[in-house]
Amino acid sequence: MSVDVTNYIALSAVMFFIGVAGVIVRRNPLIVLMAIELMFNAANLALVAFARVWVNNAGHIFVFLVVTVAAAEAAIGLAIVVAVFRRAENVDVDEVAGLHG
Amino acid sequence: MSGLLLAVWLLPFAGALAIWALGPQLRRGAGWIGSATVLLAFVLTLVQWGAATASGGAHRALVTWIPGFTLGLLLDPLSLLWSLIITGVGGLILVYSIGYMWSDRAIARFFAYMNFFVFAMLTLVLSDNLVGLLVGWGLVGLASYFLIGFWFDRPSAVEAARKAFVINVVGDVGIMFAVFALYKATGSITFAGIFSQRDALSGGLLFMICGALFVGCAAKSAQVPLQTWLPDAMEGPTPVSALIHAATMVTAGVYLIARFAPLWNASPPARELVGVVGAVTALLGAILGIAQWDIKRILAYSTMSQIGYMIMGVGIGAYQAGVLHFFTHAFFKAGLFLTAGLLIHELHDEQDVRKMGGLSRRMPFAFYAMLAGTLAIIGFPGFSGYFSKDAVVYAMLEHGQPALYAVGALTAAITAYYMFRMLFLTFFGPYRGELEDAELGILPDRRAHRDEHMPPVHPAELTRPAVPVHGHAPAWLMNLPVAILALFAVIAGYVAIGGATSPWWRFFGGLFGAAPAVAASTVAFSESLSTLLVSALVAIGIIVAFVRYGSPAAQLASVERIRAESLGRPAIFAHAFYFDDAIDALVVRPARSVGTFIARFVDPHVLDGGVRDVAWGAGALGVIFRALQTGLVRSYALTILVGTACFIAYFALIGSAR
Repeated sequence: MSVDVTNYIALSAVMFFIGVAGVIVRRNPLIVLMAIELMFNAANLALVAFARVWVNNAGHIFVFLVVTVAAAEAAIGLAIVVAVFRRAENVDVDEVAGLHG
Repeated sequence: MSGLLLAVWLLPFAGALAIWALGPQLRRGAGWIGSATVLLAFVLTLVQWGAATASGGAHRALVTWIPGFTLGLLLDPLSLLWSLIITGVGGLILVYSIGYMWSDRAIARFFAYMNFFVFAMLTLVLSDNLVGLLVGWGLVGLASYFLIGFWFDRPSAVEAARKAFVINVVGDVGIMFAVFALYKATGSITFAGIFSQRDALSGGLLFMICGALFVGCAAKSAQVPLQTWLPDAMEGPTPVSALIHAATMVTAGVYLIARFAPLWNASPPARELVGVVGAVTALLGAILGIAQWDIKRILAYSTMSQIGYMIMGVGIGAYQAGVLHFFTHAFFKAGLFLTAGLLIHELHDEQDVRKMGGLSRRMPFAFYAMLAGTLAIIGFPGFSGYFSKDAVVYAMLEHGQPALYAVGALTAAITAYYMFRMLFLTFFGPYRGELEDAELGILPDRRAHRDEHMPPVHPAELTRPAVPVHGHAPAWLMNLPVAILALFAVIAGYVAIGGATSPWWRFFGGLFGAAPAVAASTVAFSESLSTLLVSALVAIGIIVAFVRYGSPAAQLASVERIRAESLGRPAIFAHAFYFDDAIDALVVRPARSVGTFIARFVDPHVLDGGVRDVAWGAGALGVIFRALQTGLVRSYALTILVGTACFIAYFALIGSAR
């Protein structure tokens, strides 16, 4: 017996849009990073689900790659957050707008 | 034997390198190294006489540059003759230079340049191909530039060096075009290869190739209208004038035409052109020689005139005669220059014949040397120039050019006049060196020009201890070369006694091929009658010079005559027939106008303008698009989301419908 793939995809889509909403709505960079992680993992869930349906290991392997990149991204992202906090003494992403044209 | 050929070619260069490397330590020793290497090269050239005159000459392949471009050395009768003159006369001049440059701070630099010149000139004449010849052609121009500007603290010397170099480059470009055209037409750059394919060349193409070659000859050999650099080149030390601007480099044009005899033979119009240019140059040089006061400029104009004879001879097809005049000229003109150097040395850098006079008692040796050279250059019967000049002039008749014959004969008379004028002004009459300039009509600005002469003050040369002046150099150092050259100035012509059966003619064998006459032969009278006629004209020239400058009465009145002549010299002579002014008006000023136009309009408005417009456009676009850069990370994320949604919508709805 197995769960229908549609359920996995639906869960993945819900997770992804929670992540998107988190990135767009929240101002705390830590929460934004967490939301990004959520989107990564939503994508990962979709990848492994399809990999099982098509019996193709490429999806599994790709997930390893994404997890690795996500770890690196989190490390760099946290480092940036710490650096910005040291300089600006605040953690509001809207206040950090130095690239305004 | 081919190893010897390589040694001849490289010995002077090795000498130059050694002097360059060790110069400051060597000082006068540099002169000995320079002379020794060049004289050794002379001996090694002589050793190869047999191989060179054998059929085909001595040959040595050097290197294949690009497949099809094999460079090598060739020693045949023609290059043998030139090599012997370059190393032989050159060696004598180098020995003389040790004495002449005795107390010059930069004596090592001088000999490095001189040896480098000998190497470059050997490259020119020993190459068996046009590319090597062109390299040598350029290098002698470079050496000439170095040596004209040897006293580079004199603005006039620097100016003259630059002028000579620029005009010579015009000639180099001409030869370069000839190389291109010859390679395209014959597929070869070696002389042998080109001549074996010469049937591929004819008519207009051949004329253009010969014309391009002749541009090179005219620039290097000071032919009209590219002659103006030669008189200015006298700014160099006198041995330089003797070696480069009299005996060897300026005769490279004669060599080139003789070397390419098979091509010229096939192109009568080109030969006619060269003959006329040579004749015009001979006449013009002689006329300008009349009106000079600087002893070296008199000799410079006479060189130009005599090269005109040579070019006229080889151009018209009388190769043996033209080359014979090169041979004799090398001795008598080098001798004349070196003798002039003796005078200049004795009178402490005085070059103005107005300030000389009466030197025959003070310097009898120089007087006899100068007399020998003068009699040789004017073609006095029995002296070397007599044989060569007669042969050239008479060849004009044989090749159907009576007009050129007349010009040649007339020039001989003028030559006799101005050479004896120089001789009388320097060696006869009262010594005028202590007179005031004004008494002799010497204009003050010309004197100021010369007073700029100082010892070189290059920083490196200044820190070097000055060469101690032990009085003067041993007299034989300068006198021996002059004596040898004067001896040859007298006897060198005897190789050509007997015309076409003489050793001279047999020496070349069939090297030049037969030159079909440009026009029907118009031999109106025999060669002996022609000789008589030319000799009579020469005698008239001498007599006129004697009456005006040499007779006892003229000697007494010399100061008044000189003053009247200096002040009354027509402007046309002072400006040397306005060639410099014409070149200035026709080439220099238009070129400068074009440059000014480009600098004032094209550069700021077209080039810089274009760049500025592009930059302004990029800036304008930036103003529009920078509104998009809010710096708010969350709005970027939203943009990405919307964009991605659009893509997905496109592929989901429209993309799938297709």
